[in-house]
Amino acid sequence: MPFYKLSYFNGRALGEVSRQLFHLSGTPFEDERVTAKEWDDLKGTTPFGQLPVLYVDGKPLPQSFAIARYLAKEFGYAGKTAFEEAWADALADQFKDYLNEMKPFMMLVYGFGDGDKDQMKKDIALPAINKLFTILEKAAKDNGSNGHFVGDSLTWVDLLISDHIGILEAIVSNPIDSFPLVQEIRRKTSTHPKVKKWIDKRPATTF
Amino acid sequence: MPTYKLHYFDMHGAAEVSRQLFILSGTPFIDSRISKEQWPLFKETTPFGHLPVLEVDGRPLPQSQAIARYLAKEFGFYGKTPFESAWVDALADQIKDFLTEMRPYFDVFVAGSDKEKARVEIAMPAISKHFPFFEKAAKDNGSNGHFVGDSLTFVDVYIADRIVTIDGMLPGFADAYPSVLAIRDKVINDPRLKEWIATRGTRRVAGEVLVDLRK
Repeated sequence: MPFYKLSYFNGRALGEVSRQLFHLSGTPFEDERVTAKEWDDLKGTTPFGQLPVLYVDGKPLPQSFAIARYLAKEFGYAGKTAFEEAWADALADQFKDYLNEMKPFMMLVYGFGDGDKDQMKKDIALPAINKLFTILEKAAKDNGSNGHFVGDSLTWVDLLISDHIGILEAIVSNPIDSFPLVQEIRRKTSTHPKVKKWIDKRPATTF
Repeated sequence: MPTYKLHYFDMHGAAEVSRQLFILSGTPFIDSRISKEQWPLFKETTPFGHLPVLEVDGRPLPQSQAIARYLAKEFGFYGKTPFESAWVDALADQIKDFLTEMRPYFDVFVAGSDKEKARVEIAMPAISKHFPFFEKAAKDNGSNGHFVGDSLTFVDVYIADRIVTIDGMLPGFADAYPSVLAIRDKVINDPRLKEWIATRGTRRVAGEVLVDLRK
């Protein structure tokens, strides 16, 4: 088995899905959490000047979704057919588009930049949330309302969305009240024994 | 072989990579171009409300990068090992991040007023942030005309098409990045793409055209 190290900041955001894939699969890894001060020195050594980076026997791999997809495939959480894998990719990319739309609001919530939080929530966040989760709810329905976004078993996109819902709930009240199938995916994913065990013991972080 | 139909607007944009993957692999596909007039109704039929959408035997798949990766896997343009494939993905996502940062510049270029201001404040910083990383990746891979491994992958096709497009707005913008330009050159000079690149300009029609360049 290769030696894995996942290097990210001390938060969930873009790193958590990969941590969960390690815990879900029972694969040991070094969960490196980089402080802001350490990042100044480390940044120049990373392929793209960003985190997360996955090191596989010391060889670096950047970009959170490339990492998550690589691990998902290694551990069997990418989908059962090429078309299923592609649909997981499509949903993940739609989520990324949503994160780009949410960025100004989320930056403000986490203390960066200026602006009227309530105005931004109304003008930016709520429309973006509604747009994404309408798409996700339909995808869940088209997939047979079986507690998964793709196919009939857990994939990395179930983990990705479920964890983000937790982050969203801390900054927007009841964000997915209108999306029962997404709620069910989140419930099923976060109560998977190996996922729940990690969630219960992971460090509390501000993002 | 499945029936492939690729829906997009009549431009390169996010679909040209996938069109070129069909051409490079010698796979026939239906090149569907949606006009501005057709779009409002067609939009309602798409999974996520945007294009491109690939239909594989009628089953839709949205999101340009998911489509490109799916085709790259089918046709063998996705690297030779899982780690190579992951690096293809990482570079593709980094290119996408670059394009996201360039977006305000593209918007001004197409429909805005102060192009020079946007060039200086948006385009140049984005280019000088990302292209050194692309150049390093190309160099670390041996400056062999490929980003990853020793054969064509979809991220080579992706960067080549984006450079061609952006060069039309900012001529010579990537001149300081010779190993990246070598990747572009290798793609646009690929003999399999020659006929497509030469005739593509005439394909400016809405509707569906079966593209079958098998000899």
